[in-house]
Amino acid sequence: MECRKYESQFNDYLDGELSLKEREALQFHLSKCLSCYRKWNSLQKTKEILSRLPNMDPPAHLSAVVMARLKERRLHKSQWPFDYLPRWLQLGVGAAVLIISLTLWQVLPPSFSFRSLLPGQGNNLNISGPSGQPAAKFTTRRGGSQTTVPVMVLRVKDFSRADRELESMLRSISGSMLQEREPTRSLNSSSARLIDLKVPEQRFSHLLRELHKIGHLDQSQVELHRSANPQKQKAISLRIVVVGNGSDVEIHQLRK
Amino acid sequence: MGTGPLAQQSRSFKHEEEQLLVDRCRQGDRDSFAQLMRLHQKQIYNFTYRMLGNEEEAEDLTQDIFVAAFRGIRRFRGEAKFSTWLYRIALNQTRNRIKYLARRDFFARQSRRSGSTEERPWENPELLADIAPTPEQWTLTKSLATQVQKCLNQMGPQARQILVLRDVQGFSYEELSEMLSLNPGTVKSRLHRARAALQKCLADKLE
Repeated sequence: MECRKYESQFNDYLDGELSLKEREALQFHLSKCLSCYRKWNSLQKTKEILSRLPNMDPPAHLSAVVMARLKERRLHKSQWPFDYLPRWLQLGVGAAVLIISLTLWQVLPPSFSFRSLLPGQGNNLNISGPSGQPAAKFTTRRGGSQTTVPVMVLRVKDFSRADRELESMLRSISGSMLQEREPTRSLNSSSARLIDLKVPEQRFSHLLRELHKIGHLDQSQVELHRSANPQKQKAISLRIVVVGNGSDVEIHQLRK
Repeated sequence: MGTGPLAQQSRSFKHEEEQLLVDRCRQGDRDSFAQLMRLHQKQIYNFTYRMLGNEEEAEDLTQDIFVAAFRGIRRFRGEAKFSTWLYRIALNQTRNRIKYLARRDFFARQSRRSGSTEERPWENPELLADIAPTPEQWTLTKSLATQVQKCLNQMGPQARQILVLRDVQGFSYEELSEMLSLNPGTVKSRLHRARAALQKCLADKLE
């Protein structure tokens, strides 16, 4: 019973954690009990062997190799700026980017350039220009998507005539001016037409002049849009609603 | 090759100077990291060697530990000592490496390879004289060191790491407690069990 009590103190004795009184009592017991002394001696030797294990010198090139690996990592890091973030955060950033991309995919108008570049989006239809070359590219919008482009309303007296003039004007200038022209849904009717355009900034005023020749143009929404987005844009996306006189109901519907 | 608790050697470097190097590292200064590495590489290399029992694997693991340390040094807030923080990384990396190597039968192959009588001192009566009755007279031969390493390899990683950190490298209970995120009582009881296991493994040599 007494031996067990002293045995439990061996480790604390080795680590110098016994009080003077406890130490003296244990030493006294060890001087009298051979069995305990052997156990104590064995444990003491075990610890001594561990503390005397030789310290190995690391390979001389170790530091150089690590620094070279860090240099490689730095080169790699320039391709991935979130390298210092923890792995879970890197995955989080990746997921967020994916979700935002998918959201933009749905929200942005199809006339947005990167979208139209991808294959299989909408039905592409080329209209031949005067020389037989494609003059403008028509892209049908996928159903259900909403537009955020400003709308210009072109009121005309004779819709059929104005429509022909508009078509002719767009065909003649589209090669240099239009990036895309796309009717949204099947909105061509006898008295109203809706056209989505993407016009290079430098040709925008030219388009306005031509439209003014055809009919009365309400361009207030476009002006508001441009003043709200003063930064220089390469191209302006807009929608033209062409209506005959007295078609206010249709204008309202098309604006919606 | 030298002997003595490496933890004590490391402590001799002034804390302020080390902190200065750490601060520079956090700003991306790789030269300061190289200096920090020179200060700690021997200690870390010996830790990994005792944990894995193989020089090539220890070197490889030490590299990984320092690369991980550089990668994570911006997250080091200085709440603990740099060496404690570095050892936490070392412990994590070592744990993962042991799992990896164990899946590939590395330790079993290591054990089979050490088959000569020289490396199995318990079968060679002459080697029993390696340990003289008093500690002052003990001579730790290469073969006894090999036997100790073999015993360490046979122990579980937890027991091995606590023995290496405390009895080989000389860290205090407080430092161990911080490194292992354990309370001091648990550290003590684990250490006592580990010592007892090693004592049993070396029983023939210690009589």
